[in-house]
Amino acid sequence: MGMRWPVGVSRLKTGPAGRFLERSLSMQKKLNRSYDSLEEMYEITERFFLNEDVEPSIRFPVHFVMEELFTNMVKYHPENSNDILLDVNKTEDAVKVSMTDFDVDAFDVTVDRNINTDAPLEERTPGGLGVHLIHKMVDSLEYDYANRCSTVTFTKGLNA
Amino acid sequence: MFQIDFGDNGEIMCCGRLDAAQCEKAQAFMDAVADSQTLNFAALDYISSAGLGVLLKTQKRLVGSGGGLKIINVNNHIHDVFHYSGFHAIFDIEKPGG
Repeated sequence: MGMRWPVGVSRLKTGPAGRFLERSLSMQKKLNRSYDSLEEMYEITERFFLNEDVEPSIRFPVHFVMEELFTNMVKYHPENSNDILLDVNKTEDAVKVSMTDFDVDAFDVTVDRNINTDAPLEERTPGGLGVHLIHKMVDSLEYDYANRCSTVTFTKGLNA
Repeated sequence: MFQIDFGDNGEIMCCGRLDAAQCEKAQAFMDAVADSQTLNFAALDYISSAGLGVLLKTQKRLVGSGGGLKIINVNNHIHDVFHYSGFHAIFDIEKPGG
């Protein structure tokens, strides 16, 4: 079965006098709650970013953060069968990504886990670096929890 | 797609994207290595925090027995991930060209 690519939707936001303020392109995709969806998520978003001429220096951290968020959602709610909703937007000056997990307990990724990255090898344990790295790679990070829906939104400036 | 195997020069060659879906494969390979080893990342495009966990677990085991990992030809993006993780203090890491 061939890959079905999502269709980017062009949006022109207008101001009070009908003037165009900015051009925004977006794509949405529901992803099956499985690590097997990581490859699909990478491929469809990479295609979107390439079409929009997003530089590799921006694409890498955006992919990294998307995959860390998605992996956390799968890892901490394995019993849940709901898809995870991915929403990607590109404006004139930033990439904005939202990821929504339905019918889950809260998990606020904006809270710093206080990982000690200076600890010697003998004190290190695998795990826990993901949220720390998310904080390092984004320009903004927001968390919303309502009606048992978790939504994480982050932005990465295109001029970083 | 992720691949890991020994190269002709004895280095461990990693290729593709080491994400959470590929860590079981990577860990199974690394669990079978011993002593001191060189990981060649020239063809590795991406590593997630789960991939970092594979490296950390292997390094702890090898250092504990007198060995360790050297990681060479690390691209700039992965180099940033290592830097943010404090891996330069616990691994021998080289970018392309030393």
